Amino acid sequence: MALVRRQRTDEVEQDGRKRRRDYTGLVASLEDANPTARRWAARDLAGCTEAAPALIGRLEREPDAAVREAIIVSLTQIGDAVTVQGLVKCLRSDDAALRNEAIEAMGHLPDTVAPVMAGLLADPEADVRIFAVNVLESLRHRDVEQWLIEVISEDAHINVCATAVDLLGEVGTAAAVEPLEALKRRFPDEPYIEFAADLALRRIREG
Amino acid sequence: MSDITISEEDFRKFREFFYRKTGIQFDDNKRYFVDKRLVDRIEATSSDTFRSYFTMLRFQVTGEELQALTNAMTVNETYFFREDYQFKCLVDSMLPEITKRKKSGDTLRVWSIPSSSGEEPYSIALSLMEYWPGIADWDVELISSDIDTDVLHRARAGLYSQRSVQHVPKDLLQRHFKKTADGNWQISDDLRSTVEFTRVNLTDANDIRPYRGFDVIFCRNLLIYFDDLSRQKAAEVFFDALNPGGFVCLGHSESMSRITSLFKVRKFPQAIVYQKPESR
Amino acid sequence: MSTARKRILVVDDAATVRMYHRSILEGAGYAVIEAVNGIEALEKALTEPFDLYLVDVNMPKQDGYAFLRELRKQNIPQAPAIMISTESEVHDRSEAYVAGANLYLVKPIKPQELLAHCRLMLGLLAQPT
Repeated sequence: MALVRRQRTDEVEQDGRKRRRDYTGLVASLEDANPTARRWAARDLAGCTEAAPALIGRLEREPDAAVREAIIVSLTQIGDAVTVQGLVKCLRSDDAALRNEAIEAMGHLPDTVAPVMAGLLADPEADVRIFAVNVLESLRHRDVEQWLIEVISEDAHINVCATAVDLLGEVGTAAAVEPLEALKRRFPDEPYIEFAADLALRRIREG
Repeated sequence: MSDITISEEDFRKFREFFYRKTGIQFDDNKRYFVDKRLVDRIEATSSDTFRSYFTMLRFQVTGEELQALTNAMTVNETYFFREDYQFKCLVDSMLPEITKRKKSGDTLRVWSIPSSSGEEPYSIALSLMEYWPGIADWDVELISSDIDTDVLHRARAGLYSQRSVQHVPKDLLQRHFKKTADGNWQISDDLRSTVEFTRVNLTDANDIRPYRGFDVIFCRNLLIYFDDLSRQKAAEVFFDALNPGGFVCLGHSESMSRITSLFKVRKFPQAIVYQKPESR
Repeated sequence: MSTARKRILVVDDAATVRMYHRSILEGAGYAVIEAVNGIEALEKALTEPFDLYLVDVNMPKQDGYAFLRELRKQNIPQAPAIMISTESEVHDRSEAYVAGANLYLVKPIKPQELLAHCRLMLGLLAQPT
């Protein structure tokens, strides 16, 4: 027994699945009992726009983390309004892992997330508003600062504001200074708000 | 010589920022290392002060300077038996676990990527041949890949400098290397034949397709150069390339924590490695 | 009484929150190490000893519950864990205890409150007022 070399491999290894698979077959495979088969189906549906509803439907019920991750990556490559709608539904899930995956995915889709952001930031559930601010952390969009300023100016819930303040330290400009001062006045007995706002102010002034 | 100095406060700010962006943490005892490279980058970007450099760094949209800074802060040098505690881990901990799950006659498969000029895969081969008793009972296939064809060419040739072999134990050097007329070291044909070198672009789905059924993957100090999305895709590639229960080893300052939660963290006496879950 | 500083691992994806907790805890003489999510926290827990874990619930890659469950499975000296969450997640309290938390606090936490609970978890006597 030893270190061995196989014969020169230019040929592609058999990977146990048909090279060309049709759309209906793949969607059906999303429901396969075997998680590896489901994962491959999700991967092969990447960039396939019509598959978005099927992918989202599977995502909400999928217990296997590896399959969910493949679904998310494929959805991110589709990235249309239907996708975003589906991801928003995941924000309301009880499953922390699924919620966090949806937040991350949405962060990669600035153009399709932007139209729904205002609605999310006004959602009656504080948690959903917090998750929306989490999405802003990775969203490359010119309105991010403005959204954050609106949150700290108007949101009644301390933790929604706290999440927004953290991010303002990174992306905030002079426009955020007065709203940050106002936030401190709005929550006068909260050491964390004072700490976070002062940190953000310091960063903005030094920048 | 420049009169740019890095204050305690500057170092603290930089350390916190760099940790946030890359996950790489510098102890206080790394001041000299960090300061020197910071000053280099400050001068290279024609910034006047740490402060103006730091502002540019934080707000630059392209992230180009952050990449240049990351490159400067991570040690690029490669040589035989670099981070060899991972090879010890392979031989003492990972392979014994893997072979317990295998049937006699199975071939074990190890993937080393990037191969760079070959020091890593050849170090793995040497570790297996010289330090793993199990090599007498098991066949091991070693594949090593890189995107750079020039570097693959050099790897296949197997000619190395004195500097590159300085950590090779003397008896191994004698058995597997020959000193050339100009003071370099040529590895033996036997050792050369133990590694199959292939060209692969980790981010190309077609390149990656045939890479399956591996038991151990070494991917050290490559992912730090990728952006977040590419890192995630690479981790997925490794996940799919591994057999259930297989292991991935990253560089000592790297972690899956910022990349993916697909792998289980495993602590062995020699190292922390990442394992693909066993039952699927 | 031991003069060695007690080591606390602060686990939260928000840098500001980590800094806030750090400033309070270091001010009281504790040694503070940070982790951004459950995976990094587990890696640190496996390589260094800790006297207390302060764990946020909502973190990407691996949330607080998953981390605690993994932590409690490991064959290492275990330490108490305080789970920290936002008020809306109060219904998760029992899940936190099942996962292996010793205490569940709602953020934002005031400095004296944090210190008092840490002292409690560390088995230290109450500060004289």
